[in-house]
Amino acid sequence: MAATILAADGWETVIGLEVHVQLKTRSKMFCGCSTAFGDPPNTNVCPVCLGLPGALPVPNAEALRLATRAALALGCTIHETSVFARKNYFYPDLPKGYQISQFDKPLATDGDVWFESPERGRVDVVIQRLHVEEDAGKSLHERVPGKTAVDLNRAGVPLAEIVSGPDMRSPAEARAYLTMMRQILVYTGVSDCSMELGSLRVDANLSIRRPGEPLGTKTEVKNMNSFANVERALEAERARQVALLESGGRVQQVTLLFDAATGEVRPQRSKEESHDYRYFPDPDLPPLVLDRKWIEARRAELPELPDAKRERFQTVLGLPAYDARVLAGERAVADYFEAVVAAGAEPKAAANWTMGEAMTGYNESGAFAVAPARLAELVALVKDGVVSGQAAKRVYGELAGGGAGSTESPRAAAERLGLVQVRDEGALAGWVDEVIAAHPGEVARYRGGETKLIGFFVGQVMKKSQGKADPKGVQPVLTAKLRG
Amino acid sequence: MATGHATDHATVAREVGARFEAAAGLNAALHWSQANLDVEAARLARGDGAGPLGGMPVAVKDNIVTTDAPTTCASRILEGYVSPYDATAVVRLRAAGAMIAGKANLDEFAMGSSTENSAYGRVLHPLDPARVPGGSSGGSAALVAAGVVPAALGSETGGSVRQPASFCGIVGLKPSYGRVSRYGLVAFGSSLDCISVFGRTVDDAARVLAAMSGVDALDSTTVDRPPLTVPAPRGDLRGVRIGLPREYFPADLDPGVRAGLDRTIAAATQLGAEFVEVSLPHSPYAVPTYYIINPAEAAANLARYDGVRYGQRRIGPDGDVRALYQATRGEGFGPEVRRRILVGTYVLSGGYYDAYYDKAQRVRALIVEDFRRAFGSVDLLLTPTTPTTAFRAGEKTEDPVSMYLADVFVAPASLAGLPAMSIPVGRSEGLPVGAQVIAPMMEDERMLAAAAALETIVDAAGEVR
Amino acid sequence: MSIGRDEVLHVARLAELAVADAELDRLVGQLNSIVDYVAQLDRVPLDAEVTPFQPGPAAVRLREDEVRPAPMVRGPEAVAPEFVDGFFVVPKRGGGLVEG
Repeated sequence: MAATILAADGWETVIGLEVHVQLKTRSKMFCGCSTAFGDPPNTNVCPVCLGLPGALPVPNAEALRLATRAALALGCTIHETSVFARKNYFYPDLPKGYQISQFDKPLATDGDVWFESPERGRVDVVIQRLHVEEDAGKSLHERVPGKTAVDLNRAGVPLAEIVSGPDMRSPAEARAYLTMMRQILVYTGVSDCSMELGSLRVDANLSIRRPGEPLGTKTEVKNMNSFANVERALEAERARQVALLESGGRVQQVTLLFDAATGEVRPQRSKEESHDYRYFPDPDLPPLVLDRKWIEARRAELPELPDAKRERFQTVLGLPAYDARVLAGERAVADYFEAVVAAGAEPKAAANWTMGEAMTGYNESGAFAVAPARLAELVALVKDGVVSGQAAKRVYGELAGGGAGSTESPRAAAERLGLVQVRDEGALAGWVDEVIAAHPGEVARYRGGETKLIGFFVGQVMKKSQGKADPKGVQPVLTAKLRG
Repeated sequence: MATGHATDHATVAREVGARFEAAAGLNAALHWSQANLDVEAARLARGDGAGPLGGMPVAVKDNIVTTDAPTTCASRILEGYVSPYDATAVVRLRAAGAMIAGKANLDEFAMGSSTENSAYGRVLHPLDPARVPGGSSGGSAALVAAGVVPAALGSETGGSVRQPASFCGIVGLKPSYGRVSRYGLVAFGSSLDCISVFGRTVDDAARVLAAMSGVDALDSTTVDRPPLTVPAPRGDLRGVRIGLPREYFPADLDPGVRAGLDRTIAAATQLGAEFVEVSLPHSPYAVPTYYIINPAEAAANLARYDGVRYGQRRIGPDGDVRALYQATRGEGFGPEVRRRILVGTYVLSGGYYDAYYDKAQRVRALIVEDFRRAFGSVDLLLTPTTPTTAFRAGEKTEDPVSMYLADVFVAPASLAGLPAMSIPVGRSEGLPVGAQVIAPMMEDERMLAAAAALETIVDAAGEVR
Repeated sequence: MSIGRDEVLHVARLAELAVADAELDRLVGQLNSIVDYVAQLDRVPLDAEVTPFQPGPAAVRLREDEVRPAPMVRGPEAVAPEFVDGFFVVPKRGGGLVEG
């Protein structure tokens, strides 16, 4: 990979990303309340997540399993002993006036991942740390006029915070990193990673410098609700810093919020002193101790990750890089493709069908309409010349549709539609004879050496047979008869 | 408790109510009602929780949450707050057949050593109204000492049950940290807090403690051990080696306290115990260590009192959310609580963590190691509980640090999480003197057995010199 | 070791505690005397291997992931100072763009 990206304006951009993902558990991080999204406000609450006097936290085993799995998938070192710490600050949706998080002894550190940069190929990124913590509730500023409304359903939901090194060199790279991160976390079943639903949130740090200079002052950008908006926000912040520095100003270490409506970033107005979180180990929670066996059991739970799958699709199944990338992009798609191969279809054909018709339907409806075994049968029909490629698409449509085709076998559907190709030599010979008889001039030219005309003749036979002739069978019959 | 005839719980409830009325002048109870007592009696009569406590009336310090009465922590900020859940300790006591009898006054949020820091007025010492009963569990101590109830729950962070027990001439019992669930105890110093018990006798206190003890899935700091059992009485102390830490017997120890300890040592020797001098060299650092750790943890634990979800709310003139926090907390918390929050915030802030909180937790480890080493050669330790008898109200309120020094003999066992208790061993000029027994971690039963033996021959009401 | 008025006010802001002007000087004096008292821990020599003490279990117990809320006999509205349409309600933060 190129070491960096130098933009046309001569400034190098340095970006680090902090991602918070909601871990897919049924109950909260430190209490037994439900994590269900969308319930009426303040109905999934209890003394613990309300921060009532006397309540105490008890950690969720599944949250730790998922976080460990995520950390392993990101190549991190899992620390057998880690410590929960209190992060102290005041906010209306932070019930205890502190968040239980992890500070100087987190669950995992020193991971590494890579993503494909749009600008410089493969980029390696350090994952500095992954730790677990509880989420705060939601503050709504427009719900009650003139006031802030607080819903604590989300307070206490388990989060993993994943911090990258300052390894991205452009807003587009930030987006590519996030895409890769989401892919891995969804693959491993750790989180749904939906920015729309809030199960993935991003804070970005950005600074700029002239090449060779030390790192510039970084700012923090928040409030982006999609990967596209992360890229837009970082473009805006980069431009702001460039303009500032080029006019002789200095970058202040501030937090800015992205305004999706205008595409601008603005400093967070409530300009308090930078937070002093006064971290200390939470005395309500003994240390988290995970033995080697437990950690290895989490490793065994890891599915084959996207990289490895892509690699295997190329080297073992012989697929081209593009196909491998598309198919490995989503676990459900990869699993479907492999099931079609397992049912007997040849990999390239299975790949084409999966990336084509099957994924079109999947992207619309979230499901694969045709069971892998049936698709494999259809693929075999094409391979054997029973139906043409074109006809097979119509057959697929029948299989995927809700009607008679949804239960019949591919062959039966093809027959019902009259799409079965004719390969009977007698029938083919008959059509070939008719075509030869009808085009004596072309026959003569062919016999005279214009062997390219074979394509013309095949086309004519197809027309004569109204598409039913198997073109693979036609060719040898034609060739033989043309030779005379 | 007598067996073989049914307790008339309704009558007990009436009698307890009458005693609360009669003792109203002590200001020891913050909430009690005949109606609640009658409800308890009816519950017991129905047989719900017909357990080993047999209907024993037990008062509860008002920093332990109950659903049928307010929990104010003696603070304005929680005035009128009624918890939507009961503390595990209270649930277990009811299941064991206790009659929960009212909520007792305390130093605000358990911060204090005299109960003069209550927002609802100080508690009077039952023997001398000009004096304090000790704190922070002064209300619970006074109720037991005045005979209103035979037992009461208090809480300890740095001696808040042993010290009032010593001042009031009753038994005060702190278990090993982690033996009684803190779920429902309003947190003050989380690594120190222990629900503890006052009783007229060792046996009463032990039975109440046993009923509450045991691991709780709702408290991650409870230890996974079977509940405490009340030890069988032992007639003597033969074979028991008791250490006397020299740091607890300074030359200038109050003569009355010294005399009380001397009588106790003589009594124990009579029972066959062997005494050995030991040393706990880091003892002088216990109080400063305690007064870094407890405010730091308290500052974080009290951040939840922000006027958002419960409690008394005030909004300052700026009218925004910070004006809500600052006015609610500034006006709702009393001066000692505010001081501790500020000290605690300070020692955790900026670059001070290493120098203060982290250092204090390491010095704490040295104090723990002192005890471990001493227990290598003895089974128990015996010390005075307090450096003086009960002091006068107002005597120590001007200078916070002078109040802190009252904890000098009780703070170390709190820091180490060890089981420790005070038993009354006599009077000095009419005021009770207490002696403290400390046992190794988890050896609560050993401590209780020895204390019960001593109780049989030490004249708790007798003048010591 | 001396804590000035400004530092006390800073700490009070961190702790969101209003401090009346009238009590500030007294408070500064009291805090200084407390901090001076506890600062004697400076003098305690410490070997590198002495680790902070934490009582209780050596390792935290983990709870299985079941939806089983801790019981409450009444809902949050019963204790809330202000509760509208199911929400806790507080004054807004002072001015400016706020995060959603």
